[in-house]
Amino acid sequence: MNESLLFLIPLLPLFCALINIVFGMRLPRLFAETMAIIGVAGAFVLTILLWGYAEGEGTRAVLFTWLNSGTVDISFALNFDRLAAPMTLMVTGVATLIHIYAVGYMHKEEDYARFFGLLNLFVFAMLAIILADNLLVLFLGWEGVGLCSYGLIGFWYQKVENARAGTKAFLVTRVGDVFLGIALLWLFALTGTLSISEINAQATSISPGVILALTLLLLLGACGKSAQMPLMTWLADAMAGPTPVSALIHAATMVTAGVYLLCRLFPLVSLSAVGMMAITAIGALTAIYAATCAMAQREIKRVLAYSTMSQVGYMFMAVGAGTVTGAMFHLLTHAFFKALLFMAAGCVIHLAGGENDIFKMGGLARRGPKELFWVFLAGAVCLAGLPLTGGFFSKDGILLALYTHPDPFYKVFWLIAILTALLTAFYTFRLVYLVFAGEWRGTGKPHAISLQMRWPLWPLALLGLAGGLLNLPAFVGGSEALHHWYGALAGRLVTVSHEVEWMLIALAVLIVALGWFAAHWRYRNYQAPLDNAAGRFLLNGWYMDALVDRALVRPFAAMARFCSSGLDRSLFDGTINGLARMVSAWGTLLVQLTTGRLTTYLSAFAWGFLILLGWLLLKLVNGGGQ
Amino acid sequence: MIIPFGHALAFAAALFVLGLTCVLLRRQIIMILIGVEIMLNAASLVFIAASAYWQQVDGQVFVILLMAITAAEVAVALAMVVYLWRRKRTLVADEFNGMHG
Repeated sequence: MNESLLFLIPLLPLFCALINIVFGMRLPRLFAETMAIIGVAGAFVLTILLWGYAEGEGTRAVLFTWLNSGTVDISFALNFDRLAAPMTLMVTGVATLIHIYAVGYMHKEEDYARFFGLLNLFVFAMLAIILADNLLVLFLGWEGVGLCSYGLIGFWYQKVENARAGTKAFLVTRVGDVFLGIALLWLFALTGTLSISEINAQATSISPGVILALTLLLLLGACGKSAQMPLMTWLADAMAGPTPVSALIHAATMVTAGVYLLCRLFPLVSLSAVGMMAITAIGALTAIYAATCAMAQREIKRVLAYSTMSQVGYMFMAVGAGTVTGAMFHLLTHAFFKALLFMAAGCVIHLAGGENDIFKMGGLARRGPKELFWVFLAGAVCLAGLPLTGGFFSKDGILLALYTHPDPFYKVFWLIAILTALLTAFYTFRLVYLVFAGEWRGTGKPHAISLQMRWPLWPLALLGLAGGLLNLPAFVGGSEALHHWYGALAGRLVTVSHEVEWMLIALAVLIVALGWFAAHWRYRNYQAPLDNAAGRFLLNGWYMDALVDRALVRPFAAMARFCSSGLDRSLFDGTINGLARMVSAWGTLLVQLTTGRLTTYLSAFAWGFLILLGWLLLKLVNGGGQ
Repeated sequence: MIIPFGHALAFAAALFVLGLTCVLLRRQIIMILIGVEIMLNAASLVFIAASAYWQQVDGQVFVILLMAITAAEVAVALAMVVYLWRRKRTLVADEFNGMHG
């Protein structure tokens, strides 16, 4: 096989996307849907077939030279290496299942070509980020992801708030992109190249202060895409999109792009201890923030959105604690169970007759197909970190890395992470109890759940539950497969005595149990939502939107108003209109002179003649005087 | 020269002022035209006087040219007067104010 076959992985979804966008509505519906699935599934199969290329140092494939000017030589190149390969496999695999689910979910949608075209384009952009050999290709994918998310979140744009949510996602992530763009240009100015491997190799020769600044810029860029503080407000609103889109954005792609970026540039980022601390702090802050918000949310998808934010915060903490393996491990398991949870939530919403509010659900375990309850529960226990599930092992790895970090300050982050784990267990089981336990409290009639919506849940449930096998820690007899697979890219190896490890495990189990019991005690029998100040505070996401509104949007609007009505309309327009009015007034004054009467003109002529004559005489007299 | 140059100039000036007064004060187009003719003749007179004063024939040549031009001008002007009369049945100059601003 030829290494240029690697290009088929991203180009296959792109090709199908273009076909769907250009001809989609003229093709039979079945064909358009099948093609969209084949585009992604083909990429998945190709990734498996070409897996061998990732071994060793990985394989670099150049498609064509993109920019070539003087010393700048940027080619459209892919780098299929040990970091990219598992991520590619996960993205294409999960995306395939989501596509199949989407066929069932969107079967009544008129505008299917736009939907599947954008979905495929999204996968292409994500694969461009993952496989990029240089930062420019990565940036292309980065922006592509933003564009597609805008189109998909605002897919039902007839409703203004959906369109607004899409715009919000686009604009907020754009703020992060600006910082990423600055970082890229700076890196290019420093190293003269945009190739990721070369930048990583040259990182040690950059001065520490610059490294710190670059790390912070990259962190801000990652924050935008990964919905971390302070650029996290878009994610909860992104729930306006169709459920498969939520699954795609919050599970496999987009939000993990930031984590992946930091992992890719880990050799650079890890040089700055302060930068690493900042990454951990951002992650910890977001994790606890989002977990508290999730406790009070009423809409099922918003709970999951906040939980995503929180889990991505864990991944940031893992990067900050120096373990790429931990971050990628959690990224992979999280992708499985979060995609599962979102798709199951879509089914739940269908069952509840389009109802989003979990306080108007209840009793769905008996109402719908039994299997839905079990797969949702599988996702929920992974999210809560119940022992032996995938989420348990990946989260435990991160906690361990935080605990064993030599810097004592990381103990604080570890405590925050533990607390977040407690809250996670609580809100997850709260969700399960409110949705599935008790009596049916809603009014809607259940919609049918088609087969395409059901069976993609099973592989994901299995993957989520068994995800721990990817990187089973040594003390339970595992081989830490993922860590060995990453090899030199894996970051810090966390080594700790078995006693400490068992103690941490016991603590984690205790935390999960505690969270579960709290949820059990509170929500075993239905409880109406608390409507006090604290509840509202959490429901509204700490009023972060209002804060952004007050701190940024309103001053900006006021400034814009000042520029518009104060400067533009009053000063500039006023001056110009005043001048025009003055000229026009002079004109009307002067126009009275043109009476059209011969006699007026003649006398004016005579007067002019007299004046001229007088002037000439004066000159003559003066000239004679000299 | 029998008549002193100063006298001729004074006479021409008086003639010019008379013509100008006629042009400015009369309202009838024909009277304005007559005024113009008088002014032109005053100018011709200056030419003749100057020609006699400097003993050069150029002025007289110019006056003959001027006469020809005046004749042509009068022909055109009178034709226009006829048309103006046909349009408005009046020859008061202020009645024709169609070109006002």
